[in-house]
Amino acid sequence: MDAYLVAVGIILGIYMLMTLGLNLHFGFTGMINFGQVGFFAIGAYTSALLALAGAPMAVAFAGAVLAAALAALPLGLMALRLRIEYLAIATLGFSEIVRVVIVSEEWLTKGVQGLGGIPRLFASLGVGGNAELAYLGLIALANLAAVLIIRRIVASPFGRLIQAVRDDEEALRALGKDPAGYKVRVFMLGAAFAGLAGAFYAHYLTYITPEQFVPLVTFYVWMAMIMGGAGRIPGAVAGTLILVLFLEGSRFLRDFVPGVSEVEMASLRLAAVGLALILFTLYRPQGLFGGYSK
Amino acid sequence: MTGLEVFGLGKAFDGLRVVEDVSIAVAGDELAGLIGPNGAGKSTLFALITGFEDADEGEVRFFGELLNNLPPERRARKGLARTFQIPRPFSHLTVRQNLAVAAPDQSGEHLLAVFARPGKVRREEAAIARRVEEVLAFLELDRVAETPGRQLSGGQRKLLEIGRVLMTAPRFLLLDEPFAGVNPRLIEVIADKIRALNAEGIGCLVVEHNIQALARLVGRLFVMDWGRILAEGAPGEVLARPEVRDAYIGGG
Amino acid sequence: MTLVYYVNLAMNGLLQGLVIALVALAINLVFAVGRFPNAATGDYITVGGYAGIGLQALGVGSPVLQGLGAMLASMAVAIAGYLLVFRRLFGRSMVAALIASIGIAFFVRSVLSFFVGHDPYVFKIPITRAIVVGGVRLIPTDLWLGAAALVCLSIALALLFFTPLGRQMRAVADNPELARASGIRARRVMLTLWVLVGAVCGVAGIVLGIRTVVAPEMGWDVLLPGFAAAILGGVGSPAGAVLAGVVLGIAQEISTPFVGFTYKIALSFVVLMVVLVVRPQGLFGTLERVR
Repeated sequence: MDAYLVAVGIILGIYMLMTLGLNLHFGFTGMINFGQVGFFAIGAYTSALLALAGAPMAVAFAGAVLAAALAALPLGLMALRLRIEYLAIATLGFSEIVRVVIVSEEWLTKGVQGLGGIPRLFASLGVGGNAELAYLGLIALANLAAVLIIRRIVASPFGRLIQAVRDDEEALRALGKDPAGYKVRVFMLGAAFAGLAGAFYAHYLTYITPEQFVPLVTFYVWMAMIMGGAGRIPGAVAGTLILVLFLEGSRFLRDFVPGVSEVEMASLRLAAVGLALILFTLYRPQGLFGGYSK
Repeated sequence: MTGLEVFGLGKAFDGLRVVEDVSIAVAGDELAGLIGPNGAGKSTLFALITGFEDADEGEVRFFGELLNNLPPERRARKGLARTFQIPRPFSHLTVRQNLAVAAPDQSGEHLLAVFARPGKVRREEAAIARRVEEVLAFLELDRVAETPGRQLSGGQRKLLEIGRVLMTAPRFLLLDEPFAGVNPRLIEVIADKIRALNAEGIGCLVVEHNIQALARLVGRLFVMDWGRILAEGAPGEVLARPEVRDAYIGGG
Repeated sequence: MTLVYYVNLAMNGLLQGLVIALVALAINLVFAVGRFPNAATGDYITVGGYAGIGLQALGVGSPVLQGLGAMLASMAVAIAGYLLVFRRLFGRSMVAALIASIGIAFFVRSVLSFFVGHDPYVFKIPITRAIVVGGVRLIPTDLWLGAAALVCLSIALALLFFTPLGRQMRAVADNPELARASGIRARRVMLTLWVLVGAVCGVAGIVLGIRTVVAPEMGWDVLLPGFAAAILGGVGSPAGAVLAGVVLGIAQEISTPFVGFTYKIALSFVVLMVVLVVRPQGLFGTLERVR
């Protein structure tokens, strides 16, 4: 049971980093990013490939974060010029382009076959047990750092300004402040968190395929953010908790309800995500923690 | 002292000339007003001056400096501030935060400084907080300092609009219908605030539909109709002119 | 690579383009009149495809009847989406409608896949031999499908531009306040909108389903190309969306020998990004909607 909880904790930590990043994009700055899984994928593959090439873990992880942040730069620049609904479409297109590139460039990514044998951290601690616990500890630390960083940012003049960007960009411009640079920086920062999550993911599973980086993941994270309350840090944390409980819980449900196949479970899960998005949008857009809503 | 000058400004939307050959000069410490029936082009003129629309012809000069092609935030940074007809508070920020965010040149708005120079940011925040308190007192908004923008009443929003532009340390104010939708007692309060600001040397151009209130406030009045300046001069004199009365009976 | 080869590719692309044009039109209509990007469009299409298959399973062999069934099914889902969800979001922001539409997309897809599984279904159509004209291969089935798509597009555009209801829809799209002020009844226009969107999606579903397979992701897979075409055409222009769809379809096929099969799919995403950066209003749209 312990090993199971540790595994759930690791998945929780990975999703939480993504949700925290997305929360920066949308909850605090009002930018719709439907491509978070793209940064997740870039982080995962970058870290995996660097590690497989022999780079030390720290370099691999740093590379993942950097690659994701850099990939966010052109999108951030697009965010400056586009209305949010167009940004939504563009970011979705971006994450699909990332997936197509991963599938196509087999020489690098092994395409649909997937990338295996990704080195694990704490390999010296053996397999399972302590190594996993140490991994959980590291991820927890990363999340703690992320939360502290974001809290610091939100409480600062920078944080105040990005929330003003979210609330009314034009009014902010009339006050003499240009939203441009801020949006780009936030976009890159939020993407960096997703890239870090990707690195943790790759080195945990040790085998990644393009199938794991589909838009559904982006919308899991959106669901988590909305349910918890966008623009609230406790909201992002709580929402991710609900998400992971839901994902894991649905697995348990299958054990209790015979006759439900894996495929049917996948459909039920998808239905639940869809319903959650609809119902929360209709009746509780501010989420559980009373966050930002429109 | 030249303040805001507009020369031969023109703008057309889909072939319809909304602003036509408008020339206005408001001194840097003057209190002037702009009236005109609905559709006269006042809002567009405002947008052209503040940079929210690009002019087809003409120049906008601010204390001699050409503003054409500059985006709104650059013009605002030069001291040309505007309020919006329908107030636009930052809905999820408190009144205090609304005011604080307007203060210019905050090093804390640079991400690196937030982490690298916390002391400097703290000091600046303290200075901003002091100015915010002054503005809150000036506008009598102390009571709602911690209220989020979206929960403010209409009158409070109007005052916040003015408070925010004040925080930018403007040289000149463009006020877009500051009295609209506001009860008469509050109109007097707002008018007093505007007079007080002007007394400190901040020039103002006020667009208004409430002609009586505006006439009591300003020293000079411009009248716009069909995209053109119809008349200008002292309020009493301008309002007595037959062509100005005709413009209003026809439309507005 | 001879000219004939490219002509064949182009013909293939033309049919694909007509499907994309249908999707783009459905997207364009909701974007213009409802003022939000409807991510559920793809799944309306999927419903149509499955309805056709369902009818086939029930013994209805005529593709025309299957198509009608597809249209009705898609219309039903589109109208349900409006009545149950979008209507209640009136007055809320576009973001709310967008996220709700994602929810609807997922929900519809999941219901379908729960009951009929993830495996693809194939329409039983008689195998026809290609007519070869000067090296150009014309498959009769494709010709019929293309004609069906073309007819649907023409009727839809005609409805938009030549009927009072269509004019009302375009009035609401151009200026909702003015439209309301001139007495156009919102409810009637919205219902017309969703009926039209459903019909168009249903035809797309049956055409796509017959041409390829019916699977849970079939609609979602054409969603992004549809958005790319709608944006390339320009938000204000339904005819532009249709034209852009055809162009995109043809371009996608013709690019295959150069970029390979997988990147062919990426072409619409690339077009999307390029258009958004270079000319966000598309070919025929106005800038004010985009920035």
